[in-house]
Amino acid sequence: MKRRSWMERQGWIGMTFILPNMIGILLFFVIPAIYSFVLMFTNYQFSNPNWQFTGLDNLKQLFHDDNFYASIKYTMIFLISVPVSMVLAFIVALFLNRSVYLKGLIRGMFFLPYISSGVAVAFVWMLLFQPSQGPINEMLRWIGIASPPGWFADTDTAMYAIDIVQIWLMLGYNMIIYLAALQEISTEQLEAARIDGASTFKITWKIVWPLVSPTTFLLMITGLIMTMKSFSIIQAITAGGPSGSTTVLSLFVYKTAFGYYEMGYASAISWFLFAVILVITVIQWVGQKRWVHY
Amino acid sequence: MKKKWYPAVLSVLLAATMLAGCSSSGSNDAQGSANGQSAKEKIKLTMWGAVPAEAGPQAVVDNWNKENPNVQVEYVRYVNDDAGNLKLDTALMTNQNADLYMNYDLPHLQKRVDAGVALELSAKTDYDIDSQMGQDAALWKINDKYYGMPTKKNMAFVWLNKDMLDAAGLPIPEVDWTWSDLQEYAKKLTKSGVYGLLQADSSFTTTMDGTLAGMGVKQADGTSNFGNDLWKQQLEILHNMMFVDKSTPEYGEQLTSKMPVDTMFLQGQTAMLAAGEYIFRNANNLKDYPHDFKTAFAAIPRVNKDQTDYKYPGGVGDVLAVNAKSENQDAAWEFAKWYADGGMLPMASGGRIPASKSVDTKEAMSLLLKGVEDKYDTDSMNKIVFGKFPSFQLNVPQQAVDARKEEYEKYFLNKQDIDTTMKNMQTRSQELLK
Repeated sequence: MKRRSWMERQGWIGMTFILPNMIGILLFFVIPAIYSFVLMFTNYQFSNPNWQFTGLDNLKQLFHDDNFYASIKYTMIFLISVPVSMVLAFIVALFLNRSVYLKGLIRGMFFLPYISSGVAVAFVWMLLFQPSQGPINEMLRWIGIASPPGWFADTDTAMYAIDIVQIWLMLGYNMIIYLAALQEISTEQLEAARIDGASTFKITWKIVWPLVSPTTFLLMITGLIMTMKSFSIIQAITAGGPSGSTTVLSLFVYKTAFGYYEMGYASAISWFLFAVILVITVIQWVGQKRWVHY
Repeated sequence: MKKKWYPAVLSVLLAATMLAGCSSSGSNDAQGSANGQSAKEKIKLTMWGAVPAEAGPQAVVDNWNKENPNVQVEYVRYVNDDAGNLKLDTALMTNQNADLYMNYDLPHLQKRVDAGVALELSAKTDYDIDSQMGQDAALWKINDKYYGMPTKKNMAFVWLNKDMLDAAGLPIPEVDWTWSDLQEYAKKLTKSGVYGLLQADSSFTTTMDGTLAGMGVKQADGTSNFGNDLWKQQLEILHNMMFVDKSTPEYGEQLTSKMPVDTMFLQGQTAMLAAGEYIFRNANNLKDYPHDFKTAFAAIPRVNKDQTDYKYPGGVGDVLAVNAKSENQDAAWEFAKWYADGGMLPMASGGRIPASKSVDTKEAMSLLLKGVEDKYDTDSMNKIVFGKFPSFQLNVPQQAVDARKEEYEKYFLNKQDIDTTMKNMQTRSQELLK
């Protein structure tokens, strides 16, 4: 009896501790989300108090908006960075998992971008990718490429250039998580395979990769969600330009909402973004049964 | 067991102190407001503007606060971009201490009038904005009424490095020069490490806007005028300057390196700079921007000799509005009048010349030139900076301006030829100008 009341008290203390956080979530996530869901069906403009319900007009407009389709295209290009950075991180992690000199230092170097401020990183990359005098193009010219790409300054390459920055940013984080997963693998399994005569490539592909699949799954899901929502890097580097060629969905929402004050329309776009993320996540949850091995 | 409880007890204690901290500060607040009530006549106003406080506004409010102990004004700076305007609009909508605020373009003022946060000033009988600020002020009327008081002379022009012009044997251009003239000038002035012309971001569209202001946003048949031939000519000249003459930076280059155009002009890396009066802030600051050349001025050129209805950028700006939701509207109005009629003088050294006829322009000019008289060519300064031109305020939706930018960006990045660009500008703006 006494024990139970202690448990109860324990529960209350726990509740008290999470209460501030719960209030925060309610105030800053749940209520605004409901609010924006309602706004989606109105023509509410931030500064104009006269608004009315317009039903599905915003959604209709959305599917007739060329800018919207363009932003979906750019978002897709942006998402390429997720698998690429994961594969690279896996390779680096494999390398670092062996006995390498200066392991700690190298690990730190790879992790550094992840803990740096996004905007600071953006400015460094702007210097590196500077079309006429930037070190990257200087190098390309030096090895004989006469007209190196304009990177951020070209509508065709800007989105890919941002992919490169994003890959570089996420590499350290993905690598650390993979490294943890690799160290979980029991050496007996690997030794057994080696005694049976399996090559290093075969061991990696047939044993190590499946054994870290839960990690791959986690990184894939969080990576896709984070990349779809990410905003600050692009805003700092190109602000959606040149000529709108880096306006991904999250920037499109920002511009519509806070540039034009079209809150109803912006709510519709952001709920679309939410729906896409939800669908991707559900597909992955369902699909994980096929390739994730616990 | 004992050890386990330690952190919990500690955290509870910590939480308790934090709560105590909150409540004590709460009671302090209560005391503060009680004091405020006892001295009821003391009014506190807040004024929002985009000029950094140290570039004049702080001196302005300090002067006022000294003369008016009962009405204390506090200056809050917002940056005049999307995020900054959002901050101001949020403060206005939610009634958070913005009794007075500056507007820098018509679309934003229009939004604030729609939102009901701009007091109608035409009804005030004790101040005649038209006669004080001149006929240009009328461009800021919305529904034929004033909702804000224009306070300063707006200026945009070409800054010239006179030493470089002299060295190249070029005279200071005539007021009505054209873009072909400018192209020739830029070509002759370009040297290794020195561009002939740089343009500030905001100046890229000045000629387009001045042209549009002359010919009208819409054609006679109601279709958009965003595909007109004069724009085409000007864009082609600029394109040639970038890629053939190489007398101005390529657009992509300027865009991605976020070129600091004012610094580059003051360091002698460009002979001409198209920009506004805000450059005076740095040009007069010889400590941080040392330079020893003389600066002369030219008007932003029109497209060609045949263009007769070109409107030069200018007129009046810095439109000070009183918040219609403010509790101290009368005090705010008193401050607004004082500000316009000379109170704003400390900002003249940064290039903000008061528009009111109650202010002696000579005094403002001498403030602007104080200590740097020898850095400017007086003749062209009087003609251009203090000259009078037919002016305009462009009022088209932001979406149309952005669509136009996307299209000419494609042209400057060589992704689209000029004819497609003109056609797209026309069709895309058509929808938005309805």
